[in-house]
Amino acid sequence: MHKGLATTIYGFTIVFFALFFVYPIWHTVKEAFVTPEDTFTLVYIAEIFKNPIYVEGLINSFYMGLFTTLLSLLIALPLALMANHWDFRGKEILNSLILVPLILPPFVGALGIRQILGQAGVLNAFLIDLGLMDANAPHDWLGEGQLLGVVLMNALHLYPIAYLNISAALANVDPAMEEAAENLGCHGIRRLSRITLPMIMPGVFAGATIIFIWSFTELGVPLIFDFGRVTSVQIFHGIKDLSGNPFPYALVVLMLVATVFFYLIGKWLFGRDIGASSGRAATGRVLKPASPMANLLCIGSFVFVTGLAILPHIGVTLLSLSEQWYGSILPRHWTNQHYLDALGHPLTLNSIGNSLKYASLATVMNVILGTAIAYVVVRTKLPGRQFLDATAMLPLAVPGLVLAFGYLAMTREGQRFDFLVLGENPIIILIIAYAVRRLPYVVRSAAAGFQQTSVTLEEAAQNLGCPPLKALTKVTLPLIAANLIAGGLLAFSFAMLEVSDSLILAEQQQYFPITKAIYALVTSLGNGPHLASALGVWAMAFLAITIVGAGVILGKKLGALFRV
Amino acid sequence: MVSIKIRGLVKRFGSVVALNQLDIDIGSGELFFLLGPSGCGKTTLLRSIAGFHLPEEGKILFDGDDVSQVPPHKRETAMMFQSYALWPHLNVFKNVAFGLEERRVKKPEIKDRVEKALAMVKMNGLGNRKINQLSGGQQQRVALARALVVRPRCLMLDEPLSNLDAKLRIEMRTEIRRICKEFGLTAIYVTHDQKEALSIADRLAVLDGGNIAQVGTPEEVYRKPRTALVAGFIGETNLVDGQVAFQSGDQIYVKTAIGELVGRPSNPDWKPQPDERVTISVRPECLSIDVSPPAQNAIAGKLTESTYLGEVAHYSLSVDGREDPIHLSELNPRRVIRDTGETLYATAKSEDIVLLPPR
Repeated sequence: MHKGLATTIYGFTIVFFALFFVYPIWHTVKEAFVTPEDTFTLVYIAEIFKNPIYVEGLINSFYMGLFTTLLSLLIALPLALMANHWDFRGKEILNSLILVPLILPPFVGALGIRQILGQAGVLNAFLIDLGLMDANAPHDWLGEGQLLGVVLMNALHLYPIAYLNISAALANVDPAMEEAAENLGCHGIRRLSRITLPMIMPGVFAGATIIFIWSFTELGVPLIFDFGRVTSVQIFHGIKDLSGNPFPYALVVLMLVATVFFYLIGKWLFGRDIGASSGRAATGRVLKPASPMANLLCIGSFVFVTGLAILPHIGVTLLSLSEQWYGSILPRHWTNQHYLDALGHPLTLNSIGNSLKYASLATVMNVILGTAIAYVVVRTKLPGRQFLDATAMLPLAVPGLVLAFGYLAMTREGQRFDFLVLGENPIIILIIAYAVRRLPYVVRSAAAGFQQTSVTLEEAAQNLGCPPLKALTKVTLPLIAANLIAGGLLAFSFAMLEVSDSLILAEQQQYFPITKAIYALVTSLGNGPHLASALGVWAMAFLAITIVGAGVILGKKLGALFRV
Repeated sequence: MVSIKIRGLVKRFGSVVALNQLDIDIGSGELFFLLGPSGCGKTTLLRSIAGFHLPEEGKILFDGDDVSQVPPHKRETAMMFQSYALWPHLNVFKNVAFGLEERRVKKPEIKDRVEKALAMVKMNGLGNRKINQLSGGQQQRVALARALVVRPRCLMLDEPLSNLDAKLRIEMRTEIRRICKEFGLTAIYVTHDQKEALSIADRLAVLDGGNIAQVGTPEEVYRKPRTALVAGFIGETNLVDGQVAFQSGDQIYVKTAIGELVGRPSNPDWKPQPDERVTISVRPECLSIDVSPPAQNAIAGKLTESTYLGEVAHYSLSVDGREDPIHLSELNPRRVIRDTGETLYATAKSEDIVLLPPR
């Protein structure tokens, strides 16, 4: 590539990140430490620690992140080990199905969990039918704090990230490493704990980090569970009286600091670089054909986990089709009225249109910028290109809530970037917000494509008289189209599901994206929850199509998208 | 140290027969080589002895005990892997100590034995190094120490030197033999490098398509190959097809397209009869060159290529009645013949001309 063009891309990316990544974070941090009289203060931070409600929120957030991460690993690790050890029947399909929950909106699934585990829910109705529970004193599974429901929903949503990371790490272990242990007398569980687990720990840690950051600051799920005693929800409610209230800012800063702090502790404990494996693998991994028992175990586990993870969404689907569903295993009366109502409701059609618009524009931006960055990183010798790569990965490490809050602060009336909110229309800032958050996936995906496509193919075209840029578009881009489409589809579906930015930045009803519309419907009275679930089912159907497309196109490489 | 007997060993991968009814005896304390072209089954055989493959048929006996169905972690062999398979999350000391820990050896003894093992491979004082801080040669030494420290019943080496440069390879192979002999180890060594095998093996087996082509000492296999494949795989050779004319004493006269050659069968039990088809093997260094025709075993040809390498000169002769040239090499060449096109005569003593079954 022409050096000038590469430098331009580099410069543009750095400026873009300075404006829409560093600046919003800086803006938020500043607000937490500056008094209205423009002097530095630690009072706001101190006040947080004096307020038991905020302290409880921080502790609960930590639990939410920790338990979600542990539960996700608990689900994913055995599955990944099984898939890496045996060749069982239907593995290809089960291996893809296990990933589906990642793109089912957890925020919508939470409605289903409420329906299943609530006091008048499916589980209790089932137990009462069996005579195992007193109908007059149903158990409250979700408990008072409802943390259980939130953690369960988060883990059932996020375990695929752990699965992908652990699988990739296992695939990179030279089988001879395990055979050497076997040869020296170390077998079974001991071999797993002494050799295999330590060797895949960086992969486990990479997955765990993303899951922790994601769930520590998760907003959508606790909101639907009406679980107000976590920091994310407190921040969300805090912005209603934004002007003059410094506490949401202080909370955001604490959340950011905590994220970095926990990341560093985790890195120190588990993520230490063990060094690249020496030599090349002499033998490929040969998977054992599964015995009938192993077949049963593997297929059973995969089906069970997948089933459990889509259960909430089945619950939502049933809810959307039920006239009334209270205290019974299945709804007693069915109707398609909610779908018709949903289509007639001004909020729903409008929000679908909005989301499509925001998400597709953000995806276009992602694909163009992501491809350009990947090209500079992989194909040029520009000094500092690793820095560019690292910069593009940063959004994975910063909670969405923190960025959303930063965008809100920097576009408030009277701020330097208030022109980005055209009147009341948040379209520009929402597109930028969606794009920044999902850029890492597209960059990774495109970079993988460039790495797999030999540069000599492009050189051959140039050698035959094709100018460099044309060689790129005629030879390389068609070859990596699959990667770009897959990365783009993933970015698109995550943008469609985005919660933090959508809830915080879209303030007027006519600009609501789907997620905010669902939230508005859930909290409204009457048939709101039914309408919300109908809208949720529309959204899920939509996403299912896109992600299946991405999976088919990218195949196993999907895992590469979720590595830090 | 253990003696190993293999009887009727069969290993299949799907429809591919990797090992076909193998019988091998390896004596206690012997340094035994497995050699052959890639895909011949040598690594499969090694991995079967270590227990990583379970055979479909046949037996593997360690000192007379059948271990065919014993899992690898209970066979007390120690393997040195081609990729070394050193665990990157453990340092040098921990890697070497691993097998002792698995054998529940007491801490002070572990420390003592690991230090001795590291000293033996000249890696003393480097126990705290990380694996990725070591050079290829150092990693190879650590892998050897890790295998030796457990005092295995049998040491297994799977192309242990293939990742090293030529100079280090020569140094390490002598070192491996020294250590094996010092401890009286039974060792099985897989390689595709015939020089490695010839230089340090007690005995070697050449495998071909899952069958044993020949077992013997390096001299036997080199000087008296039993098949054309062995002759071609171990060292360079010229192979010539022919038909037996007559026998005189222990010498057999053979008619070939390039003239009459007189030699002896490599297998003393084999008495080729007149008109029987045979293949003749004659090594380049057994041929000498002359400008006038010799009395016996004369091969006349035109010089097509000559290469001077200092201690040796290689010549190629194109011979009427034959597509491939005849190669010959002259040690300590005083004068190099460079006139290509010139007619020359190559000849060999009858004891250097080996009769083999037809290829």
